[in-house]
Amino acid sequence: MTKRITTMNINGAEHSIQVSPSDRLIDVLRDQLGLKSVKEGCGTGDCGICAVLVDGKLVNSCLMLAAQCDGRRAVTLEGLLNDSAMKRLQANFVTNNAAQCGFCTPAMLMASWDLARHSHEPSNDEIKVAISGILCRCTGYYQIIDSIRESCKEGGH
Amino acid sequence: MSEQVSQLLESLREKAERGNLLYIGENIARVDSLEKVLGKPVYTADLIPRGTIYAKLFHSSVPHGIIKRMELGTAKAHPGVLGVLTWRDIPGLNESSAVLPDRQLFSDSIVRSTADILGAVVAETLPSATDAAARIKIDYESLPAIFDPLESLKPDAIRIHEKGNVARQMKIRKGDVQAGFTKSDLILEKTYRTQFQDATPLEPEMGLAIPEDGGIKVIGSMQSPHHTQAAVAKVLKLPPEKVRVIQAVTGGAFGPKSDETPFDVCSAAALAAMKYRRPVFCGLDREDSMVMHTKRHPFVISHKTGVTSDGMLQADESKIVGDTGAYASLGVFVIVRATFHTTGAYEIPNVKADSYLVYTNNTYTGSLRGFGGPQALFAIESQIEELARKLGMDPLEFRLKNMLVPGKKNATGALMDASCGLPQCVEKVVASSDYRKKAAQYSNQTGSVRRGLGIALLMHGNSLGPEGNDYGAVHIEIESDGAISVGSGLTEYGTGAVSGMIQVASSVLGVPLDRFKLERPDTSKHRESGPTVASRVVVIGGNAAFKAAEQLKRKLVPLAGEMLKVKEEDVVIVDGIAFDRYNPSVLVNWDTLVAEAYRRGVKLKEEGFFMAPAAPWDTEVGQGTPYVQYTWGALATEVEVDTETGYYKVVGVHAAYDVGKAVNPGGVLGQIYGGTVQGLGYAMMEELLHKDGFVVNPNLGDYYIPTSMDIPAEFKAFIVEVPGPLGPFGAKIIAEPPIVLPGPAVRNAVLNATGVSVDDLPVTPEKILMGARQSRSSLPARAQR
Amino acid sequence: MSSLELFAPTDLGDAMKFLENAEGNVTVVASGTDLIPRMRKRQISPSVLLDISSFQQDLRYIRQSDGVVRLGALTTLADVLESPIFSGKLSMLHEAAALFGAPQVRNVATVGGNICSATSSEDLIPVFMTLGANLKLISSEGERVIPLSEFIVGKRATAMKPSEILAEVNFGSPGEHSWTGFEKMGRRNMLIISLVNEALCLSVEDDLNTVRSAKIALNRVSGRVPAHAEKTEEFLSGRKLSEQTIAQAQKALASELALTSDFRGSGTYRTQVAQVYLKRLLLRCHEKIRGLA
Repeated sequence: MTKRITTMNINGAEHSIQVSPSDRLIDVLRDQLGLKSVKEGCGTGDCGICAVLVDGKLVNSCLMLAAQCDGRRAVTLEGLLNDSAMKRLQANFVTNNAAQCGFCTPAMLMASWDLARHSHEPSNDEIKVAISGILCRCTGYYQIIDSIRESCKEGGH
Repeated sequence: MSEQVSQLLESLREKAERGNLLYIGENIARVDSLEKVLGKPVYTADLIPRGTIYAKLFHSSVPHGIIKRMELGTAKAHPGVLGVLTWRDIPGLNESSAVLPDRQLFSDSIVRSTADILGAVVAETLPSATDAAARIKIDYESLPAIFDPLESLKPDAIRIHEKGNVARQMKIRKGDVQAGFTKSDLILEKTYRTQFQDATPLEPEMGLAIPEDGGIKVIGSMQSPHHTQAAVAKVLKLPPEKVRVIQAVTGGAFGPKSDETPFDVCSAAALAAMKYRRPVFCGLDREDSMVMHTKRHPFVISHKTGVTSDGMLQADESKIVGDTGAYASLGVFVIVRATFHTTGAYEIPNVKADSYLVYTNNTYTGSLRGFGGPQALFAIESQIEELARKLGMDPLEFRLKNMLVPGKKNATGALMDASCGLPQCVEKVVASSDYRKKAAQYSNQTGSVRRGLGIALLMHGNSLGPEGNDYGAVHIEIESDGAISVGSGLTEYGTGAVSGMIQVASSVLGVPLDRFKLERPDTSKHRESGPTVASRVVVIGGNAAFKAAEQLKRKLVPLAGEMLKVKEEDVVIVDGIAFDRYNPSVLVNWDTLVAEAYRRGVKLKEEGFFMAPAAPWDTEVGQGTPYVQYTWGALATEVEVDTETGYYKVVGVHAAYDVGKAVNPGGVLGQIYGGTVQGLGYAMMEELLHKDGFVVNPNLGDYYIPTSMDIPAEFKAFIVEVPGPLGPFGAKIIAEPPIVLPGPAVRNAVLNATGVSVDDLPVTPEKILMGARQSRSSLPARAQR
Repeated sequence: MSSLELFAPTDLGDAMKFLENAEGNVTVVASGTDLIPRMRKRQISPSVLLDISSFQQDLRYIRQSDGVVRLGALTTLADVLESPIFSGKLSMLHEAAALFGAPQVRNVATVGGNICSATSSEDLIPVFMTLGANLKLISSEGERVIPLSEFIVGKRATAMKPSEILAEVNFGSPGEHSWTGFEKMGRRNMLIISLVNEALCLSVEDDLNTVRSAKIALNRVSGRVPAHAEKTEEFLSGRKLSEQTIAQAQKALASELALTSDFRGSGTYRTQVAQVYLKRLLLRCHEKIRGLA
């Protein structure tokens, strides 16, 4: 397998990374950049636990070949820790008990942050659609939805 | 003194009035929530050090057979592979079993299911190990296989295990069912069936083993570190002290992580680590997890129930058959709980039950949230609904007549006392769902879209009950800087129960929760406290934490008294401030108090230990008090059915649970929401299918768990508090109960909406449309007299 | 997955040349949402991948002119969902896109990928079929056009030559007195492979009642791939829409469908649902057409 160099902007910094053709974006993020907030729940694109933002769009990082990411921009939770909208979301998740085992939490936060950028007062239905591709087994989603709604009300982006 | 200061002191004095209840009932953020929202690398796969090698388990490709030949050469020669471990590489016992010693770690001859593990490929990288594992060729002599537990019960069935196909049998003999049937005006016989459910924790099972000090350190995703320690030690032939097991932050569990799978991955990793002297990671991908870990037992439950025409239940005879797959695992206790709950939340004077935990060649089943309760309650609650309809009685009224209330006795003959909060739960749910009005309204519908309400009631025996000694220990250490470290062998994996347990300590000690830190459960530091199952943390851990906190307070209060020159009995600690309750301005803050304790050499480390009272019962007749305490509940669901396609939605859920005392109401609600949605999955869409012993849908694209689009638009949850005798402040368990009732409540709602009885879960649109013709062994009701 | 090569050209001509020279050993990948799961489940083991995802300028567009709608093969499902073109009588495309997968999947899955996967789980195929869509295939030899209904020859089998890439799907916007609709049934509401999905493009005559054409396609008709329900289409053509004709059309559909059972549902059940959907789609589209007039 011929390794190649993929150049990506990850969380605001340029990285030239050596990747094998079969490496997925999730492998690069977790193993080469140490961005462990990105989790793997199924490897087949069915659970959304690996969701990150690529070129501003929410995608499943287990379904993207790293070699196809040349020139792209990826953002993970680690890249948003100083963002005020993210901090608001995190605070609401904590007070509303929206993180139980926590495994879906980074993906839920990424999806919520993305929603908050596009919608200032999302309805419950809009919130449900925004997180519809991320499975949670612990919370039943209600406290997550409440957290997102409250966070957006407080100020969105 | 300023206004502000005097207000503060007044508030302290008021809070002191609450005594130990100081922080109980508060929605305080969990001690471990911050690391989750910050995405910290705390799960097992996040902790893999450089130089780690990978172990990939490989499993059987026949449901029943004898291994004739294992061709491992190609795999061993694969680039990156260090070796392939099999039973020959086990220095100790080739065993990986939770209760009955009926299961090997790596099969050496007989395989009894497609989940049987044959060995582990060890390689430098996971892709290399995975590719190599795919190149292993195994020849089997196939044996005839059984996939239907009823077939397995037949006397001429082939033996799956030497000792026969029944792993455990249980009985209830209460009163005289024949006499009860004679008194009955109506007798109904019906059979109900439930399916395999997969727990689907979002983090699959994994373990990391690191050779250390002549022994091994194992970090993993699990529910029971001490049981994992014992299992690994046995396999490695090491004394337990040489095997240190630490539970990493665990991404969901729901049962299977208390069964054999953590033993399997940790033992395999440990074996490889000892052999190659390198850290080894052994993790299951989703497909392997869904094939290999334990599922919920499918049950076939037949009830023959007699009732008088005025609606009083007289007798119930049930035959309960649970498919435990190839190995018993925790099925030996699942069958117990299912049996004791066979008549659910109702008083029936005459009860006969015979239950069988049966081996088949399906993949094995074990512990899963609810643990026999969902199956038992599906059967009895459906039966109750059918009886009501046949009697021409309103299903709610029928339930009210027969339900357990203080003074009545349940199936094991245990007397319900004042701590039975079932009536309050029912009342809440009936009011919230507007049950009576809607039930009347919906009995007169036209058009192809129909609505219906279904109700179900819950009795759920708390904690381990009849499963064994129920004890736990919690260590609390106050460090020199005032931080409070809590450690226990009890594990957190999402329920919030451990944080709740710490909240109890916080409340008793009088110091806010944010001063507390949770240690990772570590067999080298924390005492064995049984498995973290049966929702027992709030009760067992809560009581142990209470004691540890009290023990610490008994050391600090006299010291504070001395420092403040105040009588010991007048000193209280609130919000981390020790003060004279009659003169709050005489105070010392926490850090100063702790520093003084250290200066004086006062040891601020205590272990609280709690053992629940024994739960005695007679095994011959299944009578006694196998549970010391019960959680009660009621659930009403409203469905809307498109009768042309069978497609339906649950439009409303109304749930009430008597939790005795809600330590953290937000946490309790989180369990109610989450457990109910998991239960709705079980009721509506989840089915792990086997065909000829192979799992058909071991992936999340073909096994459907609810998404945010599937949850009911309306969900009203109520916390009822009728204190019980066992938990701290009267607390009762909540982690499992909410998964139990959605199955029957949805089934009954659909019945009321459409007239279709679906007698086997899940209730699918197809079954509704095609009419419930699935109850193969049901007979029509016979009216006597 | 161990011996995999990837070629990611930035020039479409280079991609064409590569395919020409590769003699059929190349798997074209756009988003990977179909490819990667199949590779991980060991259903396929490609040795060479041709990554065409960078041809955004050339292959990602939605245009409408002179009554023809054109979608570049790299158009994502999210693009379809967001495009104002697929409203009104073309709202079937929004309906199908909204129910497809989940937001993360819609953001990257492509129309071309959907079509080339040629399975009954690709919801857009029946939709495009009812619109009488044509596909533009390009290679270093030039381009050719083939109707979608001829392109899908079997499960995961298409009429595409190894040297070709799907560049565009286009269709004539349905004329006056037309409407489209889509229905989908699964075991839960999101992230599902349909048990049944069905698309309809209905056009009626000026009397707003006689069927000029009723194009009906389902995820499965008698094989395991999307197809037209041709007999039912023929039956409806030229007939006046009424309760009776709809009931007869349902019967025609039932006799035309030969649906197999699998763990998701039985053939009998799927047939029943397909019939109900036919009725609903016809009624709904008919209502919309009359509402507009």
